[in-house]
Amino acid sequence: MENKAATTVKKYPDKPITLIVPFGVGGGMDLVARLLEKSAPVNLGQPLIIINKPGGAGTIGWNELASANPDGYTLGMTGVEVILQPLYGTTKYNYPTALDPLVHIADLSMVMVVKAEEPLQNIIDLMSYAKQHPREIKFGHGGMGTIGHVTGETFAQAANIQLEQVPYQSAAEAMASLLGGHIQVAFLNPASVKEQMKNGMVKVLAVASEQRLDEPDFINVPTFKEQNLDVVCTNWYGIAAPKDLPDEAKIKLTQGLKAMINDPEFVKNMKNLGLKVTYLGPKESQEKWLTERQKLTKTVQETGIAEKIKAQKK
Amino acid sequence: MDILNLLLQGVSVSIIPANLLSCIIGVLIGTLVGVLPGIDTVSAIALLLPFSYGMDSTAALIMFAGIYYGSKYGGSTTSILINVPGEAASVVTCLDGYPMGQKGRAGAALAISAIGSFIAGTIGLIGLTLLAPPLAQAALAFGPPEYFSLALVGLILLSKLTGTSTLKSALMAVIGIILSTIGLDSLSGISRFTFGIDELDRGFDLSIIAMGLFGIGEILTAMTHADAKPDIPTVKFRDLYPTKEEWQRSITPMFRGGIVGFLVGLLPGPAATISSFISYGLEKRCSKHPEEFGHGAIEGVAGPESANNSAISATMIPLMSLGLPFCGATAILLSGFMIHGITPGPSLITERPELFWGLIASMYIGNVLLLIINLPLIGVFVQLLKTPLNILMPLVAVVTLTGAYSINNSIFDLIWVIFFGILGFLLQRVGFEPSPLIIGLVLGPELERGLTQGLIICNGDIWAFITRPLAATILSLGAIVILYNFVTWVTKLNNKRKELNVN
Repeated sequence: MENKAATTVKKYPDKPITLIVPFGVGGGMDLVARLLEKSAPVNLGQPLIIINKPGGAGTIGWNELASANPDGYTLGMTGVEVILQPLYGTTKYNYPTALDPLVHIADLSMVMVVKAEEPLQNIIDLMSYAKQHPREIKFGHGGMGTIGHVTGETFAQAANIQLEQVPYQSAAEAMASLLGGHIQVAFLNPASVKEQMKNGMVKVLAVASEQRLDEPDFINVPTFKEQNLDVVCTNWYGIAAPKDLPDEAKIKLTQGLKAMINDPEFVKNMKNLGLKVTYLGPKESQEKWLTERQKLTKTVQETGIAEKIKAQKK
Repeated sequence: MDILNLLLQGVSVSIIPANLLSCIIGVLIGTLVGVLPGIDTVSAIALLLPFSYGMDSTAALIMFAGIYYGSKYGGSTTSILINVPGEAASVVTCLDGYPMGQKGRAGAALAISAIGSFIAGTIGLIGLTLLAPPLAQAALAFGPPEYFSLALVGLILLSKLTGTSTLKSALMAVIGIILSTIGLDSLSGISRFTFGIDELDRGFDLSIIAMGLFGIGEILTAMTHADAKPDIPTVKFRDLYPTKEEWQRSITPMFRGGIVGFLVGLLPGPAATISSFISYGLEKRCSKHPEEFGHGAIEGVAGPESANNSAISATMIPLMSLGLPFCGATAILLSGFMIHGITPGPSLITERPELFWGLIASMYIGNVLLLIINLPLIGVFVQLLKTPLNILMPLVAVVTLTGAYSINNSIFDLIWVIFFGILGFLLQRVGFEPSPLIIGLVLGPELERGLTQGLIICNGDIWAFITRPLAATILSLGAIVILYNFVTWVTKLNNKRKELNVN
């Protein structure tokens, strides 16, 4: 491994830049990273090398990112779990202070899905069934403490019902279990339910955003708020670097990434995935991290989800 | 014959020169990925994704698929020649492939594994062409309790693959399961048994342990025979290909392996690897000469090498019919598809039939190409064995260590390869077989995850598992096998006692 100290960097970048994806291949975050790969040589002057470090709901990859040399040659994809994971008190680093956001790429509001042709086809039925049969309805999500898990727990809290959570390794696994009828509900991001929804295999009951998603496939899906449930949980994707990047690298990266994310082809490809690009620069991202952190701390602690997840993690 | 028409349409797409060329490139890269230990399909496709942007999407997908199924052809090569598995799915091929090579039958083993791959790959493709949607639905019926049952029964049936005592095998399997719990827990994200060492969070990669136990272990064993005259088998041309007897013994295992692999491939998890072990276990049980297994039984190469190829075709079924990747390699294929603006799933078949059927047809063509590429290569590979041991073994060490390093770009992994190499050597010396350890390592996580998720789904009641028809069937099959083994053991014991009494 080359261990070039930050001070000796002459002209940045003079070798390929590694982008750590802390989740597995084929997932939403991985796809976004790979779409960026395409225009990197033009905008950054060097190719991006994508390395997947999946496991532990992002923590393996982010631990590596946080401990990497801040020379601008190691970057990482981030998601809302960067903020969530430290709230459970088990991570090695406090990511919001150990990492420096460079760019915010897109927001994804979580959705609640059930299998088509099952008895519980709307939220009212589901809630009244759950009231009569506490802990009988099982919901799946993509990993302990992920935003899907938090969304499910927030929904249970808001609806005053008791649900049992089942952790899966990925959204695809949770979806397979839902389609097989082993679980009744799943909380996933819209990109990973789009294809199954289009083919009538699943039904999306609600979206956890303030307003409905302005995407043709999801325009008919009501928000939780419309159904008098205060459930707003949004995942997002961004890119961060380890703290204390040299200025030269930071400026170069900020400019390059901005161009890459606003590239019409990237925007079009993201739309294909069902994702809407919302660019934010380093400063705005940092502000977003702070407000998100406040909001999520409140959500997971005041509602007792943090305690619950801590207990479930044992 | 609707499907035949569609398939013919697909053929017309796949023989367009650009598409045919990408098919050839794909299977060539795939063969290389298979032959080289340490480079796996997922990282190979991931590395090549950026180069595909300029390609037409159909051509790119044909190439990626070619790398995927091509890699399972080459995997057996290093297993047979130097006891280093080229792919996780070829670990089991070391057990009989390498002894065959030692007896001068490497050519036959390579030929049988190439032909078996072709036959089973085609069986898998026919299944994919004709039965994809209903099979995908059937696969969904397997939930966590079923995976738990499968893993449990698998451990019981497979841990005694090789000849040593049941107790020793069980011990190795348990060590494998224990090793599999090291690292971050895949469901909760908590570090387990890592003693605060970051590098251990990743857990043990199957390939690292297999390369150590088999590859480095073999080098160390060879070193202990250094004073013996290096015995170089002279390989004549007719020795390159299987004899009539070898053929006859292989043909049924190939078909059996093809069917087993296909069924296992439908389920989530490392299907190709698991299917090769199951096929090996099955062949040993079906064989008339079970005592030859582990000493160069050709069935032990024919079955598993066929199974892992048809498993590949089967893993395409959930991807194509449900839009869901059930294993790492199909997940990267999904990425490849999406980057080219194509979403795999049921709508692909109706919206872009030319692409879907073109891809399927290219897989038939690719299988033929692979056979054509691989058969002449056998002659080249077998020449390798003419190298004297004092030159070959250091080369094997270089290949193994380079491969091990390339998996995670981690020096730490090299330490583990050496550690497991020494362990493998010592285990051999004291009469332990390393393969049950590998099985424990593969099935351990499936067992644990199935149990955790299954218990939540069944409200914490483990007995509820047997009220689920599928899980109950699998578990009772396991129980029957245990009972059968126990009864035969008791009868044997009785017979022995009777003989003693007579005497």
